[in-house]
Amino acid sequence: MDAEEVSEADISPLDTFDIELRLLVDAVYLRYHYDFRRYAMASLKRRMTAAMSQFDCRTLSQLQDKVLHEPTVFSALLNYLTVQVSEMFRDPGYFLALRTSVLPLLRTYPSLKIWVAGCSTGEEAYSLAILLHEEGLLSRSLIYATDINPHALKKAEAGVYEIDRIAEFTDNHRKSGSTHSLSEYYTAAYDHAVFDAALKKHLVFSDHSLATDTVFAEVQFVSCRNVLIYFDRELQDRAVGLFRDALCRKGFLGIGAKESLGLSAHSEAFDKVAREHRIFQKKA
Amino acid sequence: MNSSTPNAWPRSPRRFALHLSVGAVSGFVLAALATVLIAGLSLQSMAARTVMVERVSHTLEVLQELATLMSTANDAETGQRGYLLTGTENYLEPYLAAKAALPVEVEKLAELTADDAHQHDRVETLQHLIADKIAELDHTIELRRGGDAEAALAVVRSDVGKIAMDRIRAGVAAIEGAEKMQLEQREADLRDAAVVSTRVVLFGAALLLFLIIVAAAMVSRDQAAREAIAWQREGQIGLGEKLQGDQSLQPLGERALRFLAQYLDAQAGAIYAIEEDGWLRRVAAYAPAPDAAEEKLRPGGRLIGQALKENRVLHVKDVPADYMEIGSGTGRANARELLIVPARARGIAQGVVELGFFRTLRADEREFVEHVAESLGMAFRAASDRVRLEELLEETQRQAEELQAQQEELRVSNEELEEQGRILREQRMQVESQRAELEENNAQLEEQTQALESQRDQLTSAQSVLTSKAAELERANRYKSEFLANMSHELRTPLNSTLILAGLLADNKDGNLTEGQVKFAQTIVSAGNDLLALINDILDLSKIEARQIEMQYEQISLADVVGNLRATFEPVAAQKALAFEIRVDRDVPEAISIDGQRLLQILRNLLANAFKFTEQGSVGLYLHGVAGKRIAFDVADTGIGLPEHQYEIIFEAFRQADGSTHRQYGGTGLGLSIARDLAGMLGGTIEVSSKVGQGSTFTLTVPESGDFAANADPAAPVQPPKRAVPVLLPASGPVETQVRLEEKSAGAARRGPPARRVLIIESDSAFARTLCELAHDAGFECHVTHTASEGLAAAVSYAPSGIVLDLNFPDRAGLGVLDQLKHDPRTRHIPVHVLSPADHEQEALALGAAGYALKPAQREQLIEAFRGLDRKFSQTLRRVLVVEDDDQQRDSIRRLLGSDDTEITGVAGAEAALQELRRTTFDCVVMDLNLPDMSGLELLEQMASQDEISFPPVIVYTGREVSGEEEQELRRFSSSIIIKDVRSPERLLDEVTLFLHQVESRLPQESQRLLRAARNRDAALENRRILIVEDDVRNIYALSSVLESTGARLEIARNGREALDMLERSTGQRASAIDLVLMDIMMPVMDGLSAMRAIRQRSEWKRLPIIALTAKAMKDDQEVCLAAGANDYIAKPLDVEKLLSLIRVWMPKK
Repeated sequence: MDAEEVSEADISPLDTFDIELRLLVDAVYLRYHYDFRRYAMASLKRRMTAAMSQFDCRTLSQLQDKVLHEPTVFSALLNYLTVQVSEMFRDPGYFLALRTSVLPLLRTYPSLKIWVAGCSTGEEAYSLAILLHEEGLLSRSLIYATDINPHALKKAEAGVYEIDRIAEFTDNHRKSGSTHSLSEYYTAAYDHAVFDAALKKHLVFSDHSLATDTVFAEVQFVSCRNVLIYFDRELQDRAVGLFRDALCRKGFLGIGAKESLGLSAHSEAFDKVAREHRIFQKKA
Repeated sequence: MNSSTPNAWPRSPRRFALHLSVGAVSGFVLAALATVLIAGLSLQSMAARTVMVERVSHTLEVLQELATLMSTANDAETGQRGYLLTGTENYLEPYLAAKAALPVEVEKLAELTADDAHQHDRVETLQHLIADKIAELDHTIELRRGGDAEAALAVVRSDVGKIAMDRIRAGVAAIEGAEKMQLEQREADLRDAAVVSTRVVLFGAALLLFLIIVAAAMVSRDQAAREAIAWQREGQIGLGEKLQGDQSLQPLGERALRFLAQYLDAQAGAIYAIEEDGWLRRVAAYAPAPDAAEEKLRPGGRLIGQALKENRVLHVKDVPADYMEIGSGTGRANARELLIVPARARGIAQGVVELGFFRTLRADEREFVEHVAESLGMAFRAASDRVRLEELLEETQRQAEELQAQQEELRVSNEELEEQGRILREQRMQVESQRAELEENNAQLEEQTQALESQRDQLTSAQSVLTSKAAELERANRYKSEFLANMSHELRTPLNSTLILAGLLADNKDGNLTEGQVKFAQTIVSAGNDLLALINDILDLSKIEARQIEMQYEQISLADVVGNLRATFEPVAAQKALAFEIRVDRDVPEAISIDGQRLLQILRNLLANAFKFTEQGSVGLYLHGVAGKRIAFDVADTGIGLPEHQYEIIFEAFRQADGSTHRQYGGTGLGLSIARDLAGMLGGTIEVSSKVGQGSTFTLTVPESGDFAANADPAAPVQPPKRAVPVLLPASGPVETQVRLEEKSAGAARRGPPARRVLIIESDSAFARTLCELAHDAGFECHVTHTASEGLAAAVSYAPSGIVLDLNFPDRAGLGVLDQLKHDPRTRHIPVHVLSPADHEQEALALGAAGYALKPAQREQLIEAFRGLDRKFSQTLRRVLVVEDDDQQRDSIRRLLGSDDTEITGVAGAEAALQELRRTTFDCVVMDLNLPDMSGLELLEQMASQDEISFPPVIVYTGREVSGEEEQELRRFSSSIIIKDVRSPERLLDEVTLFLHQVESRLPQESQRLLRAARNRDAALENRRILIVEDDVRNIYALSSVLESTGARLEIARNGREALDMLERSTGQRASAIDLVLMDIMMPVMDGLSAMRAIRQRSEWKRLPIIALTAKAMKDDQEVCLAAGANDYIAKPLDVEKLLSLIRVWMPKK
């Protein structure tokens, strides 16, 4: 016992947590094939700390025990492992930049494919569909919206959002340079707003992991915002590599306001289009 | 309530101390009032009766008084009469008494009748009458007294008295009559009053009784109500306890339902909560039948929905027998009554409680449920509010998390940038210090340079002297060699005839020569042969020195070599009585690659020397292996030997160890020189060890594989002949050539201006060498790498104008290298010629190879390959055909694309375009879809179908939108479709530039395809129908080009729905039935998994082979595909070979 205490004193508690965290993500990978091993550790740590209290566990090892033996716990834990934050027309300037700098070029393609990687609950995908509709391009477009969280995908597929978020959406939508009203695209019922089925016709929601899966289609535009921040450098490189491979010549890539390609292994493959809004174009 | 339930009817004494209800109290108050009233009425009635009685007695008194009055009046009359008759005063006594009594009596009567005016009047009249009577009487009496008895009697006879008396009697009778009437009246009144009184009493008693009963009933009811309330309250408290705490809907519902069922003794029940979408979700069930209601109900449906809609309690009595079944282990029964209560909070329904009973429900129970439903509703509301709150909290936390992650990302980026900045700063500092150092060095260097310059000047002059000397020497040497070569030739010709003639003489065929003469002739032959050998040696040496000898490498058997030597030297040994021993070690290979003639020449020379210098003992040849894949030939003798200082001399031409030796043993002394030089040329050495008088050992060491190409193997480079061994030929000509050809390092390769360079990526070094030579011949600079990764690196760093690529690599499949070269923007323009031992032509060409040759390739083929590369490289003028009917547009495109090295041909119609294409070849075609004479698609089809028309890359440049089907059709011919718009010129320029500088990998596409088709037809797939379900044009294109070349017929569906429709259409028709399906997973409208499930539901498609194509990589993704009905699975990006073999495996056999 004494010896143990001594050795514990040598190792700071943080290290133990790190070890447990690594074991947990390994366990999740082996048991459920969700690969979080290359996620940014600092963020994972915080989220797992929150999960521990939620699942009433004193240590991550206890949580690991639960996760391994109770699939329902894993299903719930998934919401902690992934961070679902999204809103429609988030950072309106980004959408404005798409309108002015990207869509005029996408217009020259006979058919358009767009990939929203890490679509969360679908707000971004619907926003893009609305944007394309307003620019007269939706009829020849297909938007692939992918995520690894099945709960989020289900919600995205439903296209139903709480009515009290609509005000914010509307404001963003207006700032994105639209001359239409957002209300044209949804029907409010009870406390919710349901987005048009006509939009959904051009959306494909699917499970896809940037950590393990490969490219599935050639696309002209990839929007992947606030996803890379949760990855470590290696996984970021893998993801950006997938985008590069998926994009056609001169295709576009949009990333989050706080993300950058400058340090990526693939930074050479892209030109800056709208620096401020993090929109890039793949080189020929 | 069932008495078996312990909680029912709680009776605690303190509850009786409660106040009576208002009803009961008012009952009692009414009863009290009634009692008082009855008492009052009774009193009143009694008082009335007393009055009545008094009145009656009063009347009777009056009557009596009247009687008394009458009698008194009579007495008075009687007395008067008696007096009058008798005159005796005695008779007057009654009269006097009456006279005195009468006024009193009348007065009394008056008093008695004072309350009655009529009577009183009558009494007054009577009083007057009585007074009159008395007066009459008095008068008579007076008369009598006065003695006038007659008068008195007359008066009496006058009947005055009688009349008065009659009047009195009449008065009295009137009074009496009135009184009697009164009496009768009063008696009747009295009777009435008695009846009334009786009735009042009876009625009052009845009323009282009634009130008391009512009050009692009310008290009892109050009690019951109180107990019911107490029960309800207890239930509410109990439920409240169950509802306490932070609970989510499910446990909340379950606890509440369990409590309610127990409290109410319900046999079954369920609680539904209303979801956000209005659906009802069952959150709890109590003893549900296993097949009972579903988990979710539509809003408005069923009784539950109805109850909600009407927002009221539904109490269903006489539930149908099979409506709700409750079972236990031993049996089952049906609920008799059903209670459905909406649970509301602030008027909004939150859920529904449904309970089933075996018995009839009491109203208060129902009421209780209604009450608690309200609190349940509140609890539900609270629970959902809590959930919402938690969600909000989580949302906030997530947002915070995102912010933090973003900050971290920024921080990491910053740190990395800082780190980079720091490194840059360090580097700058380093550079600066280096610069200072360099400056210092520069100064020094300058000095040194000056010194060197003067030295150089000196050297230059010395060098020029030397150069001219060397040139002179070389010239002299060449002259010498040439002279020797010529001379020896000149010498040999006469010598030859001399020898022939001398031989003829020695034969002495005619027999006319003496023995001595024959001997002379023989001597001439012998000396001539010696002379010839000498000349040959000189010739050899001069040739070697003049580099006129070429080594002829071949595989020779060492056994043959040894056999040859044995045959040659055994007779010599026998002649000199020497032992000749040959030993070959086991580690010596059977054959080596070497110039056999030269090897024999060296060995013969060494052996000949050995025999020559050995008088007794033995000569031995010993073959053994040496490290470094070399083989040594030891030639040992027991001859005279030589001292160490002569080791070198013996190899020098025209010198021998000892001047005397030559004389004693003969020979030219050139043999060893030649042997040494030849050994050097073979990459070998000759060493000598010897002791005077004991013998010598000459050791020839040569490589087992003398081929230069093999020597060039980078892993084990053969060392050039070691200069440390003095007997070696200095490294010269051939070795140098080799080094130049190899050009091993990429850095070394970068010399001079970018000339025409070719990169050879070839694992077989011998073949690489051949290629290199051919490249040199074709005028290319050449760089060789032996592995794929080196090759890829060199393709970037060396920037060759062409690449020759071998497909047979240890480290990476050659096609992969080609693919990578063609996908790297830095190398994609470089033409690649592919060499392969296996037939991958179609894949290679599809991947963009410029040419293809099967190994082993003919020299001519290879030369042609280099010429091809050369042509690609030197082609500068690019031709673009613009097919556009609008003149202005055509002109603008011309202006956009035209440049010095690009020639634009513009035509307005399809026919003209076809003509142009027949006439000449173009590097690229830009075409509109709307043409006056035929559609763009028709034009493309014609271009494809006509063999004489070349098919350059086509860019469709159109002003109209292109439908999905159209795009798919067009994509067969054109990989680039541009819709005209504001920014389209930019893209057009981009794409055209790309095509023009891309190496034209695709020959006429269609003919290429036909070619492939012919070669590729696969009996298993010929005419079989494959349905490709895939929405990505890039993949459709790739799949169709691979599959069509196998002879398979393809159908394309772009989503699961279309696939099902196509299957539907093709089913039942033998000709068009689908044999196999390739199914993508991620698709719009209907994804692959759903489509496969739908397919497997149809019995006729149960056995249809389906291969799923997916980008998902995990093992369970594969399982998902298989579970959905796929027969097999292949991961993207697709491996063509693997896909084809999968298709072959799964294609049903005919």
